[in-house]
Amino acid sequence: MSSVASATGGRLVIEGLRKRFGAVQALDGVSFEVRAGEIFGFLGSNGAGKTTTMRIVLGFLQADGGTITWDGRPAHAWPRRTWGYMPEERGLYLRMEVLEQLVFFAALYGVPRRQARAQALEWLARFRIAEYANRKAETLSKGNQQKVQYIATILHGPQVLIMDEPFTGLDPVNAAQLREALLELRDQGRTIVFSTHQLSTAEELCDSVAIIDHGRLVIAGSTREVRRSTGNQVVRVATDGGADAEWLGALPGVTVTRRGADYTELRVAAGGNPQAVLRAAVERGRDVLRFEVADPSLEEVFVERVGALVSEDHTLAAPVGAR
Amino acid sequence: MSNVANIVTVARREYQSRVRARSFLVGTALLVLSVVAIAMVPIIVQAISGSGAQRVAVWDGAGDIGGSPAATLDSLLNAPTGGGTSAGGQATTGDFSVRAVTDLDAERRAVDKGEDTAVLALARGPSGDLAFTLYTNESSTGRVAQLIRQAVSAVVIADRLARLNVAPADQARIFAPADFSVAWADPARTEATQSSADQGASYFLGFGMTILIFMMIILYGQWVAASVVEEKSSRVMEVILNAATPFQLLTGKVAGVGGVALTQYLAILAAGLVALAAQGPVAGLLLGAGTAASSLPQGLTPGLLGLLVVYGVLGFLLYAVLFAGAGSLVSRQEDVNQVVTPMTLVATAGYMVGVYSATGLLDIRAGWLTFLGQVPFLSPFLMLSRVTSGQAAPWEVPLSIVLMAVTLVACLWLAARLYAVGVLLYGQRPGARTIWRLLRHGM
Repeated sequence: MSSVASATGGRLVIEGLRKRFGAVQALDGVSFEVRAGEIFGFLGSNGAGKTTTMRIVLGFLQADGGTITWDGRPAHAWPRRTWGYMPEERGLYLRMEVLEQLVFFAALYGVPRRQARAQALEWLARFRIAEYANRKAETLSKGNQQKVQYIATILHGPQVLIMDEPFTGLDPVNAAQLREALLELRDQGRTIVFSTHQLSTAEELCDSVAIIDHGRLVIAGSTREVRRSTGNQVVRVATDGGADAEWLGALPGVTVTRRGADYTELRVAAGGNPQAVLRAAVERGRDVLRFEVADPSLEEVFVERVGALVSEDHTLAAPVGAR
Repeated sequence: MSNVANIVTVARREYQSRVRARSFLVGTALLVLSVVAIAMVPIIVQAISGSGAQRVAVWDGAGDIGGSPAATLDSLLNAPTGGGTSAGGQATTGDFSVRAVTDLDAERRAVDKGEDTAVLALARGPSGDLAFTLYTNESSTGRVAQLIRQAVSAVVIADRLARLNVAPADQARIFAPADFSVAWADPARTEATQSSADQGASYFLGFGMTILIFMMIILYGQWVAASVVEEKSSRVMEVILNAATPFQLLTGKVAGVGGVALTQYLAILAAGLVALAAQGPVAGLLLGAGTAASSLPQGLTPGLLGLLVVYGVLGFLLYAVLFAGAGSLVSRQEDVNQVVTPMTLVATAGYMVGVYSATGLLDIRAGWLTFLGQVPFLSPFLMLSRVTSGQAAPWEVPLSIVLMAVTLVACLWLAARLYAVGVLLYGQRPGARTIWRLLRHGM
């Protein structure tokens, strides 16, 4: 098995990536770093440049400018089996048997057929679809096809896994299975980069994230840093008096973001002190039933820095030049 | 991963998935059956229409004719056509079975019942000449009547000469064929001239081989294009693009489909050879021993078969890589036909010119056909008929093969480049300008 990039120096470094399709500047100087052995979320609306970035990293597209290195060497200098790629549009040979095509994909990366076969059967069993090994892919449900696709992506043991919207279209059970599998790969030392517009999934899973918008990097860093990047804080309050939203909204530097029967959520603007909210509650003579200070969610950060997330799923890739 | 290993992997998948498909198995089985059927049809038709020989009886009412008229008629009616004037030792055709009868009335009844085809009655007329009457239910101007009429005139002439006291030896000299030969108009040509049978065979060969090559190019070329589009429309392309280069995918695919084509052609060829070999025994079984069996078409030499393979394979590769490149530009099966039209048009034009010149509708000696024969995209359709008709100058075959090979390398480069930019194109079919821009600048 190929050695995983050293934990100290191993980094996927993307530096000043530029790409133009006709009149559209798809990428305009995108730079970020992914540390080896972490799960990295690549966030952005449709058309932000996520797929283009991934395709350039994998060498399908030529950048107009910029460099990509993995563990100190240019990305294209690494053997193909270094990389695993799961495109947004799932692709299987529909009229080919599942096991046979898994062996085919692995063989293209140089995995001996016998070994590929044994490993594929193991994975199929793990995902509880072993009975479909000799069925044609077209007879499988969408969810099971996705599992086959996932196995095809990792069967050759890539160091870096690049996945374009892997959670789109998965039901909750399958999504949980995929999350589990990604965490396990991470624990084995593999590096995983995936794009998504499900910000809650990214928040739950990713060690680091990058937000990209209209071909420009908005922010990148550890998930915690990014969540704290606005300086805002989130406070969740519930008192015995009820109707908290009215008096809370009147406090300086505070915006009510959620009025619930159970609790009220506030945003405390950068520089404000959440403890002031608690003091105000006590001063009003109320019993505080709940008081919680948290970092803003990625979604809040995203909305604040980029605007509302355009999140409708697109099923067809856009024509040339649209990304 | 090395180039070759991935090309083999891609080709292997392409080959296996196609050869195992039910449509391929059924199609090949049908082709094999039809080849066997075509080879067997003449025998079966003969078997169904009864014994091959026409039964003719001769009733001699004159009694003073030298020799047996039945025997004379037998040899005349069964003489092979065409070469009938050449010296003896000829095989007989066995088309007619002739015997003498003594009871004319009984024989007429036998003919009427269909037991025999005809009975020929001969008698001396008042002038001393022989007079003949053919009793038959067949057409008075049919083939049997015509042949008997011709044979009878020979009997009459021999009889007249005998009555003029010409000795039988002198008679033979009178009927000896004239010294007659045919030579090429061009004094430089010394090889043997072609008989019409040879020429027919060469037309047939050139024509047949041109059809085979055309079918191979169009049929399997379209398969290549369709297969590329299938990978695009099912989005497998992006998955395998991470593992293999566009060049590997392209060459592997063309090689795989080419292998399928060769498999199908070999199956048909094997069936044809078995059917030809079986013709004799089957004919013997159905029609009785001694029936002549046909053999390989005349002029089909191993060298010519080799040329068929060379032109077939080179022509297929030449077109297939372009079909693949073109197929990579569209993402839906419905658009395939449109995008491969330029290649189909060129191939069809080449095929038409090839067939017209093979069958003599175009003068194959024309200079512009010599030129067209060297155009790499037309050579596969033109050169074989030029060779079979003996019109190809010695330099033509090697030059055309070299030109095709060079063009193939250029096309491979072009197609791989088209493929590299095309496989990630989705949506609208790109216009010529977009393609040109992508080819120049990459994607």
